[in-house]
Amino acid sequence: MPPPSSQRIAITGAGIVSPLGSGWQANEQSLAADRTAFKPVELFDTRELIAKTAGVVDLPAENLFRRCPPHKQSFIDRGTHMLLMAIREALAQAGRSGLEGIDAIVVGTSAGAMPLGESYFEHAHHDAARVPAQLSRAEHYQPQRQMSSIAAEFDWRGPIIIVSNACASGANAIGWAAEMIRSGRAKRVLAGGYDALARLVFAGFDTLHALAPSGIPRPFDAQRDGLALGEGAAVMLLEAEEVRQSAALGEVSGYSTATDLHHLTQPDPAGKAAIRTMTTACAQAGVSPAQIGYINSHGTGTPFNDVAEAAAIAAWAGEAVAGIPVSSTKSSMGHLLGGAGAVEAVICLMALQGQWLPASLNVREVDPAVRFDLVRQFRRASLDYALTNSFGFGGTNATLVLQRRSA
Amino acid sequence: MNARDICIRGVGAVSSAGWSAAAKHEAVLAGEPLPSRPCARPGNVRKWPCESRFAPAAPPEKVARHPRLRRSSAITRYSVAAALEALTDAGHDPASPPAGLGILFVMMNGCVNYTGRFYDEVLQNPAQASPLIFPETVFNAPASHVASFLGVDGAVSTLLGSPNSIMEALDTAAFWIGSGIAQECLLIAAEECDWLSAEGLTYYHPKLIASEGAGALLLSASGGGPRVREIIGPLGYLSWQERCELLPQLAAQTLAQVQGPATLINDRTGIHKLDQAEIAAWSARPWDAVLSPKYVLGESMGASSALQLVLGTLAVRQTQQPVVISLPGSNTAAYSCVLTP
Repeated sequence: MPPPSSQRIAITGAGIVSPLGSGWQANEQSLAADRTAFKPVELFDTRELIAKTAGVVDLPAENLFRRCPPHKQSFIDRGTHMLLMAIREALAQAGRSGLEGIDAIVVGTSAGAMPLGESYFEHAHHDAARVPAQLSRAEHYQPQRQMSSIAAEFDWRGPIIIVSNACASGANAIGWAAEMIRSGRAKRVLAGGYDALARLVFAGFDTLHALAPSGIPRPFDAQRDGLALGEGAAVMLLEAEEVRQSAALGEVSGYSTATDLHHLTQPDPAGKAAIRTMTTACAQAGVSPAQIGYINSHGTGTPFNDVAEAAAIAAWAGEAVAGIPVSSTKSSMGHLLGGAGAVEAVICLMALQGQWLPASLNVREVDPAVRFDLVRQFRRASLDYALTNSFGFGGTNATLVLQRRSA
Repeated sequence: MNARDICIRGVGAVSSAGWSAAAKHEAVLAGEPLPSRPCARPGNVRKWPCESRFAPAAPPEKVARHPRLRRSSAITRYSVAAALEALTDAGHDPASPPAGLGILFVMMNGCVNYTGRFYDEVLQNPAQASPLIFPETVFNAPASHVASFLGVDGAVSTLLGSPNSIMEALDTAAFWIGSGIAQECLLIAAEECDWLSAEGLTYYHPKLIASEGAGALLLSASGGGPRVREIIGPLGYLSWQERCELLPQLAAQTLAQVQGPATLINDRTGIHKLDQAEIAAWSARPWDAVLSPKYVLGESMGASSALQLVLGTLAVRQTQQPVVISLPGSNTAAYSCVLTP
């Protein structure tokens, strides 16, 4: 077990774009109102699918990529737009106009610019001749090419690391960034995650019968029948305490990752990897389970995930479990895949700042596996530490522990 | 810990030259492009030339058996084979990999065969698309399979990016090892080829030949083997012109680190328009040898930089001289790397 880390890692800016709204304030208001954000998907054809709704982000009409030539605008993916919005908010919150002094950008994504790949595929299938614009589609399908569109907005030429650990991508990106600072490799890192809805991914979850037929996810409900997909992005600016240049909103005080080898898509029923990540992240933060004032669970609303996570939380927390408030904000905005871990980390930060707890909505009867304090409606609270879990296909588990900081 | 403290204890490779690092080494030393063949297009006949160099069929002794591998696609099979070779090369028993092993995976296109197949099914009738295929389309499926095969339950992660983002992975491996996230790290970069990616390359240049494979490096803080002496970069660029202007700077910074006889392993494709800036940048000094794996093996995208590193490791072992690896990239940043005995 690692000893508590002495390197303090401040969060000096955060940006969030989710189906609940764009920006910190809009998301805070929606969470405080116990609002859900599911609506029919119109980005692609869902007629033959079981699920037809998702958490959809309303992108602004104006051109966000001011340096992108007009003929290239259509090759910038929705997810990249969301990521840029989140980056701009995080930088503004930290009092910055650009990326000067930042050592690296670390972002997580599960699908990247999948819609560009879909478009490339469809054009290639349709015509055996060379098709105009296929080069641009092939290029912009690549996440690093999408990221270079963002780099161009800030005239940025530094390292960009793209982590793709399925639904744990965003949490791992933030965790990596924190470790880069903790190990002295960097002083200031912009980190987060994003994913936009894509037809292939939506159909994929649908074929797995992982999506709630009703379109309403009910994490930790005894009769839950699946998740809802969503889209969004979130970013944090992390700074080593000794170089911090603006007020700290909070700290990343613990991070751990582990791999669940049970199955490609299903968690180990006892949540062994999750127990390890929660234990190790808390050891690094120097806190006990009883000190955790809120857990933003992975809480997808699928039968397998929720029971495994509930078992893991119970085993990890021991006697403290009944006093730990837990919710899944996927109940209000859906599962944002590669963006989920980052968005949920920012929600934890918002909860620590505002001293409140977001709810697990849509629960009718609590699953008997739940032994923690399931937060079923927004409430005020006093908390110093929040923990967020992210678990992905492939068995990647990640836990982040965030700490409250007074301004 | 910095990447310069890392040593490469073992290497493994699968490429169009065969299922071993030695086969690749031999082919690249011979210096002649391997035979290519037209890449078949399902359903109709392509109206322009599109060549590919696929990896040959696996020899029986390289076919790994594990429940997870029954449905896995070529990229996973290449990765497992390269990983096992790297572990063996490092003196480990692959049946019981070292404790605290981490896995870092790098790719650009990923699981294109299952992705194309699944999306085709979705377009035809999503209600009948196979739920068994979809999980295999996820970028981190190969890393998960390799982890499951080896029993690695610690840090396992996948990075996306240009082939040369393996330099960021090398650096990450160093801080994983330095910070105790992993004791040793298996760095794998892999790619599989399909007709869509082969065609995609021809849009970059009609003479680019798609290939595939995997390179694996077993990295450690100690234990001997060639060392990563220096990583130069990233020198980020936002256009091809900017890239060409940056390469002399990359070469100058790198050459300042290298004294005496050395080998250059470059990114040369054999296509003058794509190669000329890189060749000019590295021409400032004489080289004992210049090796061009991409020219011989084809463009294996995400795997190509790993194949350069594997080759570089073998070259250091053989010559006991420094090896410079040129990784100019194509759309985000340029890197180079110096390996020493």
